[in-house]
Amino acid sequence: MCACEYYKVDIIKRIIKYRQLFIVLVWREFAVRYRYTIIGIMWAGLQPLSMMLLFTFIFTYIMKLQVSSYPSFIFYFAGLIPWTFFAHSLNSSIPSLTNHYQLITKIYFPRELLPLSSIIVALVDFIICAVILFVFILIFRIPLTWNALWIFPLIVLLIVFTTSVSLFLAGLNVYYRDVRLASNFLIQLWFFMSPVMYSVDSLGTKMKMLLFLNPLTFIIENMRRVLLEGRGIVPWQMLFVCVVIGIFYVVLCRFFIKIERAFADVI
Amino acid sequence: MSSEYALQLDGVWKKYSKTEFFHKSIREEVVGLFKWKKDGTSLSKDEFWALKDVNLRLKRGEAIGLYGANGAGKTTILKVVSSITYPTIGDITVNGTVAPLIEVGAGFHPDLSGRENIYVNGTIIGMQIKEIKAKMDSIVGFSELEGFIDMPVKKYSSGMYLRLGFSVAVNSSAEVLLFDEILSVSDKAFQQKCVDKIKELKREGRSIIMVSHNLALLRETADSIYLIKDCTAVPMPEE
Repeated sequence: MCACEYYKVDIIKRIIKYRQLFIVLVWREFAVRYRYTIIGIMWAGLQPLSMMLLFTFIFTYIMKLQVSSYPSFIFYFAGLIPWTFFAHSLNSSIPSLTNHYQLITKIYFPRELLPLSSIIVALVDFIICAVILFVFILIFRIPLTWNALWIFPLIVLLIVFTTSVSLFLAGLNVYYRDVRLASNFLIQLWFFMSPVMYSVDSLGTKMKMLLFLNPLTFIIENMRRVLLEGRGIVPWQMLFVCVVIGIFYVVLCRFFIKIERAFADVI
Repeated sequence: MSSEYALQLDGVWKKYSKTEFFHKSIREEVVGLFKWKKDGTSLSKDEFWALKDVNLRLKRGEAIGLYGANGAGKTTILKVVSSITYPTIGDITVNGTVAPLIEVGAGFHPDLSGRENIYVNGTIIGMQIKEIKAKMDSIVGFSELEGFIDMPVKKYSSGMYLRLGFSVAVNSSAEVLLFDEILSVSDKAFQQKCVDKIKELKREGRSIIMVSHNLALLRETADSIYLIKDCTAVPMPEE
């Protein structure tokens, strides 16, 4: 088969072709991550839960803020879960290619499998945290409405957006290690631009518009809305964000596949 | 195109850059998104040819050996054949599949046990997980590492590492197999085992490209030997 054929095929088809390797790479990531640890998989829930306690402590008891009609720690936790998924995916996928240079220079396989397996690991953490959140919702009797089903398309949007940004930055990091260094504080800045410890509800229109330039604002804000507040989604906003994230995905993945061919020479 | 050949390299050239920074190349790639073909024949500053006009023919069921000094381009040939990297100019025609890894044991994770690494390495060479499970005993048996198979490979010696890698690699279903330096490191007994296995693979109709510094062993296993010198391949002169 001609090597140039690989490059025209899109990422999903490439993964399906290499699914066995993908499964093993994901498993390997897990096995290596929790090997020689005492509490193992419990680390997944620990970080967002401790952040939640911190936020609740600071904002409720020190700054005396009332953010929601339901217990405020659930408000913070619901924002932290998608945020943690995004931040963990970025943090682990950006160096994933450069860390595995021995694989890249010695073996042929679709390079996106490496950042994608980092994202899958973050996704499993996300699911564990989501289960914890669901338990909170049941214990504190937060009424669920049919609007809660919107959570699923929102999760898909979150995953697609995270994947596009991760692939783009991981690929760029092969050429410029600045990406890795810059990502540390950029992710921190991004955190404050996302409605994790606040809600955009109370802000003015101008401020809202500015914050909605960040696709995560729409995703995180609406996840809370549909799940905890039982409110629906504004359809035109949803459509708009879908189109924006769709364009992101197509352009950034194409970019990745384009530069992927040279990874073994550059890395 | 005759299908008598498992692999053909026609006028393959490969350009590498000596510089540490690749700012230019990524810019070229991005510009290339909008242009289809760019001219790669000219050599700019700090670039050099790692391969110059390499022509190779590999018949089915045949093994060729690549022999030459370090840095002559042997590994680069394996890299372009396995699509780890792409030739700047020239064509590589493959009838069938090529093993995607050029070094046995590439992809082993030091923290995982030998058995776990067999799964990682097995899927890398294109085996199904089920298939690996079924062949596990024969792979472990071939490596003669029964007593150490559940130990992390970071505690293996380089000889043990290589044995395990080779034992997985020979299970590849690819029609063209690539072996880089497997014959040089292992002990006499395992070397003989490798030689026998390579002959067996050839009888099955598999084609093999071997890289080695051990000319005697290459003469024993390979049907033809190429001398890689000055970035190109010439048939090895008989002694």
